[in-house]
Amino acid sequence: MEISFLLFQLLNGLTEGMILFIVASGLTLVFGVLRVINFAHGSLYMIGAFLTFSLSTLFPVFTLGPFLLLMILVPAAVALIGLGLEVTLFRRIYRKEHLLQLLLTYALVLVLDDLVRLIWGGDIRNVSRPPLLAGSVDFVGLSFPSYNIFILALGPVIALGLWYLLYRTHWGNLIRAAVTYPEILGALGTNVTRVMTGTFILGCALAGIGGVLMSALANIDLGIAMEKIIECFAVVVIGGLGSVGGALLGSLIIGVGKSYLSLFLVRLALVFPFFVMALVLVIRPWGLFGKPER
Amino acid sequence: MAEDILQVEDLTKSFDGNTIMDNIHFSIPRGELSAIIGPNGAGKTTLFNLITGYHLPDSGKILLEGRNIVGKQPYEIVRLGIARAFQRTNIFPRLSVLENMVATVISNRQGALNMVTPVKKLKAVHERAYQVLESVNLADAAERQSGTLPHGDQKRLDIALALALEPKLLLLDEPTAGISPEERWQTIDLVHELWQRLGITMIFIEHDMDIVFKISQMIRVLCYGSLLAEGTPAEISKNEKVIEAYLGVEV
Amino acid sequence: MNETNSNRKNYVWGIIAVAVLVILPFILITLGKKGEYWIWVTTEMIIMALFAASLNLILGFGGMVSFGHSAFYGMGAYTVALLIKKAGVPFFLALAAAPVMAAAVAAIIGWFCVRRIGLYFAILTLAFSQLLYMIAFQWYTFTGGDDGIHGIHRPEFFGPVSYYLFCLAILILCLLVMRMIINSSYGLAIRTTRENPERAKFIGINVQNYQLLNFIIAGAFAGISGGLITELNRFAQTEFLHWGKSAEPIFASLVGGMYSLIGPVIGSTILMFLKIVLQQVHQSLVEIWALFLGLILLAVVLFAPEGVMGLRQKFLKKL
Repeated sequence: MEISFLLFQLLNGLTEGMILFIVASGLTLVFGVLRVINFAHGSLYMIGAFLTFSLSTLFPVFTLGPFLLLMILVPAAVALIGLGLEVTLFRRIYRKEHLLQLLLTYALVLVLDDLVRLIWGGDIRNVSRPPLLAGSVDFVGLSFPSYNIFILALGPVIALGLWYLLYRTHWGNLIRAAVTYPEILGALGTNVTRVMTGTFILGCALAGIGGVLMSALANIDLGIAMEKIIECFAVVVIGGLGSVGGALLGSLIIGVGKSYLSLFLVRLALVFPFFVMALVLVIRPWGLFGKPER
Repeated sequence: MAEDILQVEDLTKSFDGNTIMDNIHFSIPRGELSAIIGPNGAGKTTLFNLITGYHLPDSGKILLEGRNIVGKQPYEIVRLGIARAFQRTNIFPRLSVLENMVATVISNRQGALNMVTPVKKLKAVHERAYQVLESVNLADAAERQSGTLPHGDQKRLDIALALALEPKLLLLDEPTAGISPEERWQTIDLVHELWQRLGITMIFIEHDMDIVFKISQMIRVLCYGSLLAEGTPAEISKNEKVIEAYLGVEV
Repeated sequence: MNETNSNRKNYVWGIIAVAVLVILPFILITLGKKGEYWIWVTTEMIIMALFAASLNLILGFGGMVSFGHSAFYGMGAYTVALLIKKAGVPFFLALAAAPVMAAAVAAIIGWFCVRRIGLYFAILTLAFSQLLYMIAFQWYTFTGGDDGIHGIHRPEFFGPVSYYLFCLAILILCLLVMRMIINSSYGLAIRTTRENPERAKFIGINVQNYQLLNFIIAGAFAGISGGLITELNRFAQTEFLHWGKSAEPIFASLVGGMYSLIGPVIGSTILMFLKIVLQQVHQSLVEIWALFLGLILLAVVLFAPEGVMGLRQKFLKKL
C-alpha cells in the first residue's frame, strides 16, 4: 500500500479523532468535577447535529459566515439545554448514590433520543459544507477534503483552548483540583455551584461543537448518539475518567484505528472501539493514564 | 527467625511522588501483642494496607510465616491468615449483625459457593457465629440491622468479623477511634482479654498513649515513613528521639 | 422484622396470586378473540417479569448496575429462533439451549465487565450489549439483520392458554430457583459484595469471581425469558438486543423494589399495565414508549428511589 494512501487514512482518522476528542473531553470534564457520568452526552451531541441541520436550512445560501455563526449558536443552545438539565435534574442527584445517578442519566437518554426522533423524524439528514470548505486540496497525489483540514486545524485550537483554560485560569485550577480531590471545592469556600454548573455547561457546549462539526462531515441519523457515547466510553476506558490528556490520546487512537480498519472491512471499524476497550481491560484495567486500583 | 510470624523487609511505597513508606524493616514474633504509633500521616494505615494486600509496595517483601505475600490479592491474604479491623467501621450495613457474622464464618470455613442449602440450616456455622458475637458482647444484637447499631457496637462487630476469620495475625486499626472514653477501656480490655485467651498475634494502631503503654508488649514508632524506634514500653518511653518527635503531643 | 410472621403472610399471598394467575386464562378465553388478546398480553407480562427478576439478581442483590441485560434476553431469543427455524430443532430442546447460550455470552461479556467497578462496569455492560446488537444488525445472512427471524413454528399443543400456563410454570420454577440461590451461602456472599465490596474482600471473598458468577446466572435466566418471548411472538428481532430494552427490567426492579425477589415481578406488571393503558388511550402513543418510560424512570429516581416495596415499608412503619 502506498505511503500517501496510508497518510490519507491517517488524516481521516485524525479528523474523526478530533471530533471524538472534543466530545469526549466534555464528558470527562463533567465527570471529573461533578462525579457524574452523563450518558446523555451523546444525545446532546446528536441534538447539536440536528439543530445545525435545521438552522442551516434557514439560510438561503449556506456559506462560511453562517456556518461559523452556527458554530457559536448551536453549542450555546446545547449549553442552554444542558443548563436546564443541570438545574432541574442533575443538581438533585449530586449527593445521591451512584446507582441513582446512573439511572437518571440513562433515563435522560431515553427521553432525549425519543424527543429527537419525534421532532426530526427518522430520516437521514446532512448539512452541506460551506462552499469555501466544500472542495478538496491536492496533497501528495490524493485529494483531501478541505472540510477535514478545517477540522484538523480547529481540533488543536480547541485542545489548546482547553489546555489554557485548565492550566492558566483560576477556574481551570479549581477544576483540576476538584478532579483529584473532590472535597476541595467546598473546602476552599469557592462558589461550588458555580464551578460545577459552569463545568457542566462547558461540557455540553463541547458536545454541541462536536455535533456541529459532525453535521457536515457525515450523515446525521438517530443512531449517532449511542454510537458517540460508546466511543466516548472507549476513550475514557483508555484515558481514564477525568483526564483531558487521556481523552486526547484515546480519541486519536480510536479515530485512527477505525480509519485503518475500515480499509479492510467497514464492520471491523465499527467494532474497533469495543476491541480496544476489551484489550485495555485485560492489560491495564485502570486505563493507560490511571493508577492501579490497589 | 523461625518463630516470627511476620517479617517486613525494606518495604517502600510512594504515592504521587510522596514517599509514605521508606525501607521499613521489622519482625513480629508469634503471639506478640504490639502497637504501632506515630503522628498522623506517618503511614500507619498504609502499612496495614500493604500487609493486607490492598496496596502494592514499590519494593520490599512481606513474609507471612516465611512466605512472601507481596502481590497477592486481599482475599488470598485473608485466607492465608491475616485479618483486619478497620479504623472507620467497615461492615455490611443492610445485613443483620448475625448475617454479617455468618457470611464471614462461611467464607472462612467452606467458601460460599453452595447455592442450594439455605443459610438458616447451617447449624455449626450459626453456633460459631454466636460464639464470636458473645466474645465481643454483641450476641443480644444479633437480629438488628448492623447499620443501625451505635458506633461503639459497630466497632466491636468490625473486630468480631476479623476474629471470625480465625486469623494467625490480627491487625486492628485504631480500635478505640470514635468511641467515648468510658467505652474505650471496655473495648481495649476486650481486645486484651481476647489476646490472652486466643493467643493470636495482634498489631494495633493507637493514638491513646495510656492504652498503648498499658497493654502492648512491644511498640513500634512510625514517623514519616520510617521506623523511628521499636522496643518495650519502658524502652520507648525513655527513647530521646521518640520523645522529641512525638510523645510530647497530646492526642 | 418478624421473619416467620411475614414469611407466612407472604406465603399465603403467594398461593393466592398463583391461584388467580392459573384461573385467569380460563376466564379470559371465554371472551373470544378479545380474550385471546388479553391472554397474550398477560403471557408477555409473565415473561417480562422473569426478565426483570433476572436483572434484579445483578442490580438488587448484587448491587451492580447493568445496562446491557438485553444482550442475554436477545441471545436467548435468537438461539431459539435460529435453532427452530434454521436447524429444525424441537421447541423444548431449543428452549433448553437458550439459557446455555445466554450464559456463555454472559460469561464472556461479564469477564470483561467485572474487571472494573461501579461506573465503569455500567458503561461496559452498555457497550458490550450494543456490540451484540450491532453484530446482529449487520449479520444479515445469519440473523436477518433488521428484519429479524420470522415464522417460527410453534408446536400444535401450545394454544394461547396452554402456552400461558407453560410460561407461568417456568416463571414460578425460576423464581423458586432464584429464591434458593438467594437464601444460600452464595446468596449471602453476593449480598456482602453489594453492601461493602471492599470488606467482602477482607473476609476472604473473591469478589470479582462471585460477581461474574452472578452475572452469568442472571444472564441464563434472561435467556430463558428471551426464548419464551420468541415462541410467543413467533419471531425474533434486533429490537430485543437494543439498549432501550434493558431499561424495562431496570424500571421494573426500581419501581417494584430492588431488595426483594417479588419486587421486579410487581414492577414488571405495573409496567405492562402502563403500556396497555397507553395503548388504550391512543394507539400511536405506544410509539413514544421510550420517552414515556424515560420520564417515569426519571420521576422514580428523583422521587421514589426505594420503589413500591420501599414505599410500602415506609407506609407500614408509619402505621
